[in-house]
Amino acid sequence: MRDFKHFNAYSVDEAVALMGRYGERAAVIAGGTDILGKMKDSILPAYPEALINIKTIQGLSEIKESGGMLNIGALALLADIAANPVIKSKYAALAQAAGRTASPHLRNMGTIGGNICQDIRCWYYRNQNNRFSCLRKKGGRCYAIKGDNRYHSIFGGSVSGGCFAVHPSDTAPALVALDAKIVTSSRTIDVEKFFEVKPVKTTVLKADEIVTEIQVPEPAAGSSSAFLKFALRKSIDFPIVNCAVMITLRDSKVEKARICLNAVHVIPYRAVKAEQVITGRVIDEAAAEEAGAAAVSEAKPLEHNKYMVAIARTLVKRAILACAGK
Amino acid sequence: MNKEIKKYVCPYCGEGFDTTEGLKGHVFKTHKGHGLPVSEGGIRLFINKAEYELKVEPNWTLHYLIHDVLGLTGSKQFCDQGACGSCTMIVDGKPVLSCMMLAIECDGKIVETVEGIAAEGHPLIESYAKNHAMQCGYCTPGFVVTSKALLDRNSDPNEEEIMSALAGNICRCGTYPQHVLAVREVAQTLKQEKKQVRG
Repeated sequence: MRDFKHFNAYSVDEAVALMGRYGERAAVIAGGTDILGKMKDSILPAYPEALINIKTIQGLSEIKESGGMLNIGALALLADIAANPVIKSKYAALAQAAGRTASPHLRNMGTIGGNICQDIRCWYYRNQNNRFSCLRKKGGRCYAIKGDNRYHSIFGGSVSGGCFAVHPSDTAPALVALDAKIVTSSRTIDVEKFFEVKPVKTTVLKADEIVTEIQVPEPAAGSSSAFLKFALRKSIDFPIVNCAVMITLRDSKVEKARICLNAVHVIPYRAVKAEQVITGRVIDEAAAEEAGAAAVSEAKPLEHNKYMVAIARTLVKRAILACAGK
Repeated sequence: MNKEIKKYVCPYCGEGFDTTEGLKGHVFKTHKGHGLPVSEGGIRLFINKAEYELKVEPNWTLHYLIHDVLGLTGSKQFCDQGACGSCTMIVDGKPVLSCMMLAIECDGKIVETVEGIAAEGHPLIESYAKNHAMQCGYCTPGFVVTSKALLDRNSDPNEEEIMSALAGNICRCGTYPQHVLAVREVAQTLKQEKKQVRG
């Protein structure tokens, strides 16, 4: 790694002040498992001048439930979220998603805030020494369109006709399914509006804004949720496709459903059509199958990733059945 | 105007002291958990039960500090991307990847490496050799450290627990089944030792 300045921030205000001073020349480090990999490979045209360590801020790693709201500090470790008994029982999709992220070692290091703010894994974008100056680096074009796009978006691109890199987070779809809110140093954002595709950015966070907390409302009575992930390996792997579903039943019929796929689009993809299909019905094999087909009805796969459509359809079906315990 | 000049100023609250001893006592008493102040760019940490005060550069990883600077070459760096587990160390009781941690952020941490595990005569080392849980041996220190962390929190893990705890370590020689045998054997040994102590 090249040389940089290092600051320990002891409060959110201090972190924000430091970020304001350095602007885009600084990067925030918490677990470090994403940013250090990016710096080691020098994938970005600009190298950060300073790293601002937010692990030193006290009280940002708490997980507590009170008054119908689960509050997770941005620095809560993925391992702690996966093992938390309250999250396991009431917010199952989130615990399962955190438990399937990366490897046990990385879950002991990585934070939930970092997991939703992580950068894309597109192999053109991540190529060493900024070899492909792509759209996400303010470059000319997306190399995946004509290149090898087997792990790219099946629901179209973004950034003015371009970037097909998928959002790689496992916890993001679970948070979308659970209708969470992201609290930053200056505002509260619905999780669905949190993700944004811009050059060298995956979120709507400003240059001097950090995530401080994640709020998940307690699911209504009769709710259950599930998370499923398809990856080439069981461990240390990013998803090919993952899917989180929350379903609220009333009189054994679906009253409300929230279904979110990830790693299939440039941001987490909420399958609204599948939600409409399943709402008002009794969950059985046929209904789940139909919802799966509806979820991918708008898919426009590229040359090498048609297989992802079949995986997405099956995951939606299985996740719905898993919610019903079938 | 004779303003009293104190030589040693507490970096946390600004209170002044005449001697370093006075400052140390004050920091221990009122700023517990913060550790003692160290010079800029310096960290204080425990490695294998020995205390170190070191000057580090911001771009040093914990692995670089321990492997290249301090010369404890047991842990291996392979992927340098947090994807293989061969650089595993136990930091504050948890197995983590030392290649993805900045040394400067490890102030006040308690680090355990494979050298420390060997020095305390842990039965894992013997058991790994006996069960031949290695071929080329490059990934082995990482596996041993991860297994030690598992046994620390669960002294009698079953096969599934061992496999999921070791899921972050990769062995390209494919020795995976042997690790389960080795760790199970240590669990049995530890159980018997406990019984003997009780008996």
